[in-house]
Amino acid sequence: MAALDLGWSTAADIVAAFAAGRSSALSIVEATLARIRGRDPLLNSFTAVTEQRALVQAEVLDAARKRGEPAPPLAGVPFAVKNLFDVTGMPTLAGAKINRDAPPASRDATLIARLEAAGAILVGALKMGEYAYDFTGENLHDGPARNPHDLRRMAGGSSSGSGAAVGGGLVPLALGSDTNGSIRVPSSLCGVFGLKPTYGRLSRAGVFPFSASLDHVGPLARSARDLALAYDAMQGYDSGDPVCADRVAEPVAPLLQRGAEELRIAVAGGYFKCRNAEAVYAVDRVAAALGVNRDIEIPQAERARSAAYIITATEAASLHLDRLRRRARDFDPAVRDRLIAGAMLPASLTVKAQKFRRWYRGEVLKLFTEVDAILAPATPCTAPLIGQRTFKLGDVELPVRANLGLYTQPISFIGVPVVAVPVPLSPLPIAVQVIAAPWREDVALRIAHALEAEGVSAAMRPKEI
Amino acid sequence: MRAKKPDAIAALVAASAQALALPLERAWHVGVKFNLQLLLTHAARVDEFLLPDETEPAPVFRA
Repeated sequence: MAALDLGWSTAADIVAAFAAGRSSALSIVEATLARIRGRDPLLNSFTAVTEQRALVQAEVLDAARKRGEPAPPLAGVPFAVKNLFDVTGMPTLAGAKINRDAPPASRDATLIARLEAAGAILVGALKMGEYAYDFTGENLHDGPARNPHDLRRMAGGSSSGSGAAVGGGLVPLALGSDTNGSIRVPSSLCGVFGLKPTYGRLSRAGVFPFSASLDHVGPLARSARDLALAYDAMQGYDSGDPVCADRVAEPVAPLLQRGAEELRIAVAGGYFKCRNAEAVYAVDRVAAALGVNRDIEIPQAERARSAAYIITATEAASLHLDRLRRRARDFDPAVRDRLIAGAMLPASLTVKAQKFRRWYRGEVLKLFTEVDAILAPATPCTAPLIGQRTFKLGDVELPVRANLGLYTQPISFIGVPVVAVPVPLSPLPIAVQVIAAPWREDVALRIAHALEAEGVSAAMRPKEI
Repeated sequence: MRAKKPDAIAALVAASAQALALPLERAWHVGVKFNLQLLLTHAARVDEFLLPDETEPAPVFRA
């Protein structure tokens, strides 16, 4: 039996090796910690490594196996979390200098507790853009998390460390948050799978907020099956999150083998017809593999992005108003200026955006009576260079920081589930969004799994690993 | 709604900072004004889309 290649094993591989007695949890954790020590100085993806906690958890798992207890569904799987998740005993940084002064968290975020209850092992906290107001992965205080395929390039944000750590082979699973694209953008730039579930599906209890009516949390991994395994372990109502839906868990992993053949799928037209060669190629390749031969128009998508932009700015400004008054100099100026501007936008315009959201939601839901899923680019380009200010989209020069989420914002705006499926290209990967109706994560994950089985989608292994 | 002229926005920035008790240093004005202008451009795109008076806002969105 081949030994685990921990630099690129999936969570499912690790669970199987542990369950079969081929690897102990302790050996898996020790090898993971060694990889983080050896490689993270290049990737710059971790802000804390929870070594002692991980070793203790591994010993508990190994002892349970010795007693003959059945292995839990994520037994021995190392994972790390964006540093806006509460981890007991550590301040929740949320990528901010200001939060370094916060008291240590007194308990773990709900999703950490649920993953650990399923046998996964927390190994640390990951870098992110300040207060999640970011698509680049750059951070003035912590430095940028780096793209594992080219260390000169952005990992994408704001879940930058999550993308870099999974894509760089440090952990098979990470948690991120996605308000306007912050799971899907780093998934695309780092070439990994990412799931932004339906708004309200996964608990945000113990997660530092950004824009409350748009905040989602979810996993990044190197296979669609791993996304499903993690997602299944994290589902379920939680009274600690006021918007967490009171729905029974709907396990998805057992459904993956159903494939995508009978599903009705279309490509998003109009606004989503990207003019960048890599994005076009990726969408076309995915569509061809799925036998998709129709386009569908998501109405008023550009306006939806504008409305998302406004709601984000004003909700975030409201959240940080007191910090802006007391410690404005301690913000990254690029974040501070946007937050202050958000505080100054008249409320009448924000309410207009909220009214538009109601209308847009109704129009998009109508589309899901015609199709089961919609394909769209995840990002308008592959990873830009760190520090790059603009990129070309067709003939137009656009600012990087605001526009990496061009195609993700109109989708998360109404909370529908999306899987970012990576398409390996040379030299850099890019992802496609598989968008499904509310509460139909199963549809998006089945399509992602089918694309993986076809060899069209895969987490792209960096040359150095 | 048309976006305001830049000088009007500069005045809005200065007045809002005072009204909201936000400590706005002189060097920050350009960045804040740029971002407020951008927000107003996005807001104008939403504002020009006419909706019935009865349309309910979705302040906390439910999928």
